[in-house]
Amino acid sequence: MILTSPEPIELTLTNQWLWEIIDEFVYQFQSFSQFRRSPKLNSEELAYIKDHHYIWSVLSVLNVLHSLIDKSNINQQLKAYFTGENAENVAGEFGRSPLYKMLGYFSLIALLRVHSMLGDYHLAVKVLENIDLHKNTMYCNVPACQVTTYYYVGFAYVMMRRYADAIRTYTNSLLYVQRMRQMFQTKSYQNDQVNKQTEQMYTMLAVCLVLHPQSIDESINNVLQDRKYADRIVRMQAGDTKEFENCFLFACPKFLSPVPSSLEGAAPEHEPLQIQKTIFLQEVQQQIYLPTVRSFLKLYTTMPLEKLAGFMELNEATLMECLLCFKHKMHNIVWSKGVSSLEGDFQAGSEVDFYIDKRMIHIADTKVGRRYGDYFIRQIHQFDELAKGLKSLRF
Amino acid sequence: MVSSRREEAETIRTEINEWLANVERYNFKNLPVFERYVELQVSENFYDLEASLAVLKLYQFFPHLYKAEIVCWILLKAIANLPHTDFVLCKCLLGPGQLDDLNIVRITYLANLLELCQFKSFWHEKNKDQNLISQITGFDDSIRKFVCHVVNITYQSLDKIILKDLLGNVTDAELKSWMAKCGWKEDHGTIYISNQEDIIKTKNITEKITFDTVSVVMYP
Repeated sequence: MILTSPEPIELTLTNQWLWEIIDEFVYQFQSFSQFRRSPKLNSEELAYIKDHHYIWSVLSVLNVLHSLIDKSNINQQLKAYFTGENAENVAGEFGRSPLYKMLGYFSLIALLRVHSMLGDYHLAVKVLENIDLHKNTMYCNVPACQVTTYYYVGFAYVMMRRYADAIRTYTNSLLYVQRMRQMFQTKSYQNDQVNKQTEQMYTMLAVCLVLHPQSIDESINNVLQDRKYADRIVRMQAGDTKEFENCFLFACPKFLSPVPSSLEGAAPEHEPLQIQKTIFLQEVQQQIYLPTVRSFLKLYTTMPLEKLAGFMELNEATLMECLLCFKHKMHNIVWSKGVSSLEGDFQAGSEVDFYIDKRMIHIADTKVGRRYGDYFIRQIHQFDELAKGLKSLRF
Repeated sequence: MVSSRREEAETIRTEINEWLANVERYNFKNLPVFERYVELQVSENFYDLEASLAVLKLYQFFPHLYKAEIVCWILLKAIANLPHTDFVLCKCLLGPGQLDDLNIVRITYLANLLELCQFKSFWHEKNKDQNLISQITGFDDSIRKFVCHVVNITYQSLDKIILKDLLGNVTDAELKSWMAKCGWKEDHGTIYISNQEDIIKTKNITEKITFDTVSVVMYP
């Protein structure tokens, strides 16, 4: 009725409720899609599903979300908002009502989720192209929505091999969760989901840091030193593909297929999850030598090719291919400016970099000096408070 | 009639861009136009990632309309766009069974060789698949462009013979044209790529404490 009414409906619901409505809508779609591929269905149920394939069909779900987006003109409103213009001018009759505006916004996030679950990561990030995720302005104030957005965007970046962007997205989101920890303590379905997504993000962050080491915020780093993650990191750095697989299976979203299994042969290795997992592991396999190369390079400033070939027990031609692969994989697209999260240029991402001059490898390392500024400022503030407290004490 | 195909491509592109902006991208009735667009990309040597992903998505939603030849072309065009990760994005949209198609297995194998930078093996293997790849105009040149990109970021100078191998046993004349395109110079059998010393230097990141950060704690 919200969509078919000729005039905006006079209804005011809190943003939290609107988010939960949309979230639940996608959840039902997800559950039903998984249900109809379940091997436990009997033939009667399979026949019913085959005859009524329009129930929770992916097209109807997408239609609903797109209609909400179109009706509220949310994309135009977002464009105006982030360029500093008045969003009211482009909102249109429906868009001005907060009900429709927020439903439109949450539908964008829902599209991000649905496309990620179908494996279309490029489109998933593209639907958010008018939302500037890098500015800290909170266009929507529902924390669960923020966390979900960053979770899916981060995951899409990982599958697109934009590890630097994924690391940045995850650390921003995890810092946000740390700050708002109080809000997520009460027991509720939404908070459980936020807590689960937080753990998943830490796991994916660990994976990204193994494949693409770089220095990150101290507080997040401290959490990763915790035994739960540290063990996994050590195993992945040693090249244990099973550990990569475990991390992926824990942290990935629920993948769906848009068609019921009765239309195709339902072999277990054809399940959407297995397909996405295989693609991820292929990518890992291509990069499996990189941590070893990196550890040798860290030890020297120059090294002849033969010497490195000897260390790695490879012949020189294979070593050359390894080094070219290292450079190729460390050179990915990184966002630097612009509203859309898809934008970016190629940048060398590795802290340990090198170039080859004839047969000599010249290595450059990045050393990060100890930071003491923040620590001193914090201590000064604390002493200040202490001094003020002492002065106000009466004896 | 090259120019008319180009014009056709331009017209279709406008129509497709309109569809991609709304739900028409999920309409299977638009599929023949999308497929024609892929054909034109192959023959006229241009590339449109979004349109290709839209085709794969339509095949995902409507598996009975799947056409293996179109998918092979899309995958080969994606490989030609390396170092972008378009090929991985395309793989994620393929359904079960489709990944087992022999041609697609072969294409995946070639893509793997390129991602691992095993260029010599790639050129050797690619010659076995001429009928599949020869339809893509400009495929070899796109791959050579990728090889030059990787060489550019890795080397300061290297032997001419190694470079010729990496580019797939090109003739001296072809090598000269690639060197001109990339701005490389030759010096007695060694090719000088670029001065990497300025780009790749040891960095010491020390903390910069500016007056602004400290002014906060100074006497207000």
